[in-house]
Amino acid sequence: MNTIDRKLRERLLVAPRVEGDRLMLGDAVLLAALDGSRALTAGERVALQGSPLTTRRLRTLALARRQAANDAWQGSRGMLRAADSGARLTQLATDDGFWRLHFVDSGGARRVILQLLPDAPFAARLLREGALLHVLDGAGAQVLAGRLDLDGECECDWPFGDDPAVHFQRHGAAFTVQMGS
Amino acid sequence: MRLPGTRYQEPGWEQVRKLLGQCSLDVFSRCDLDALFAQDDAAAAYVDLLAASLHAASRGARAQAAGNSYGDSVVELALLLVYELAARPGDFDALRTALTPAAARGEALLRKKVNDMFALLRDKVDADNYQAACGRPCSPNRIYAYRMLDTAYGEIGRLFAGWREHRAQVGAILGRALDSALPIEVRQLDSIGGCRPEWILRWSETLERFTGSPGPLHTRSKRFDSLKGNADKIGEMLGEIGEYEALSANRDRDWLQDLDTSAAWIEDYWRVLDESNAASTPGPDLILEALQDELDGADAPAAAAATGADDPLAILRAQSVSLPPGFVLAAGAAEEPGSWSARMLAGDTLAVRLAVYARLLGLDDDSYPDAWRDPATGQLPTMAQLAALDAVSLPTLRKRRDAAIARLEAATSNGRSE
Repeated sequence: MNTIDRKLRERLLVAPRVEGDRLMLGDAVLLAALDGSRALTAGERVALQGSPLTTRRLRTLALARRQAANDAWQGSRGMLRAADSGARLTQLATDDGFWRLHFVDSGGARRVILQLLPDAPFAARLLREGALLHVLDGAGAQVLAGRLDLDGECECDWPFGDDPAVHFQRHGAAFTVQMGS
Repeated sequence: MRLPGTRYQEPGWEQVRKLLGQCSLDVFSRCDLDALFAQDDAAAAYVDLLAASLHAASRGARAQAAGNSYGDSVVELALLLVYELAARPGDFDALRTALTPAAARGEALLRKKVNDMFALLRDKVDADNYQAACGRPCSPNRIYAYRMLDTAYGEIGRLFAGWREHRAQVGAILGRALDSALPIEVRQLDSIGGCRPEWILRWSETLERFTGSPGPLHTRSKRFDSLKGNADKIGEMLGEIGEYEALSANRDRDWLQDLDTSAAWIEDYWRVLDESNAASTPGPDLILEALQDELDGADAPAAAAATGADDPLAILRAQSVSLPPGFVLAAGAAEEPGSWSARMLAGDTLAVRLAVYARLLGLDDDSYPDAWRDPATGQLPTMAQLAALDAVSLPTLRKRRDAAIARLEAATSNGRSE
């Protein structure tokens, strides 16, 4: 969806006003529908669609849920897969799919780049806060530390003597991305 | 006063009200009021004219001033309120009825009627904002009651601060005679949460004795009936104002901004509809009862509109600046033909599509390509310019625009589309 469409659709859902509109569904019902534990009945669905105010309440709850998921992020973990050990290692991903580690050679120097994918629920927060991030190998040694730039990337020299594939293999075959302090 | 979700309850409201009055008078002075009111879409015409006048005034000092502590400017709040008016035709009908006797057309009276309309509207809007923010039912009258209590607290605070000059009145509020020592209540009162409900009741009760006019909880008006003599309820409401004031003073403002601009929740909305369609959850439907609280009693619906036809705005249209040659081609080329909105609006003209965007997202949004903007203003063309583009009257363009918006609304609330 492009930006105009996204904005239009949001306006179309929250802008209508219905005379005498009121909250038709309680928070418990809306939250259960949002977390998937109880889908709305047909009657409740009609009530939601007919009430812009209730839709706006759903919006508040949905955004708060997303915010909570965002706030809860403390770190992500990734592993060196068997397939990564053969050919030259160029990238690793965290299990949650929100981070990539890229390994590049530039003019003889090896660099490591941490990339945050823009669809991560906590992407906006980390970029805004300019949070200090650490990447550690499986033995707890620091691979990289820094703050993301506006593209959601952070880059530095590869700090170890061994190639990335060899290094990770010797140090737990895993890595973590976490908030620094 | 701040409450969850509300936008129009801080001192900046005075400037919003004045700007709306000033721009309304500007609109009234430039068109024939009888002809304007006689149109069958008079509300939409008034809203478009008023929005244009607000845009024209938007760089002034009053317009740019802060309208509340959330970072909304006076002109932003005024425009939002005008667009709310567009969605609530009943409110405009009340204004039209009030102004229909031609005698009711003095400038002061016009200003007052416009004031009245927007004063009611802001409490309706904030009552909705409050409900969406915290999930508790709320009526415009309840917002008004919160404000009355907040004002009463401010008044009591003022009397406490000058307790020596107001010893008798402060004594009446505290319910005991005062000697020359500083009363401990006076020393301790530092927020509305610390204001005791009995003080509010006694302040209102004794106001007539000290000022000659009865206090808000001691008039014959039924407005605050459910608060009269009800210290528990007053205390609850005072506590709520105090709690939110403390919370919102400390709250990370960026977080609130994010909530307002993120459209990610639409995915959640569609998922909820999809899952409901798929699951056929057994009843009963858990639909909330309408609230019975007196403070939240329903407002009387406004009278229905009269109809008529004619376009009083021909002069305004004639004054409109023409767009550069080639505008239609360039603007059309800048559209994304595959996008959802372009497909949904494929049967409409470019002018109608731009009118839809302007209504929903405003004249100036950073998502608009430059080719859509009038080089003279840097914004989307005005409704008058767009009507001229299609060689139709303004009311016709408005009808087409509103029909297109209704189509989009139906498609959006029915769930994820192709």
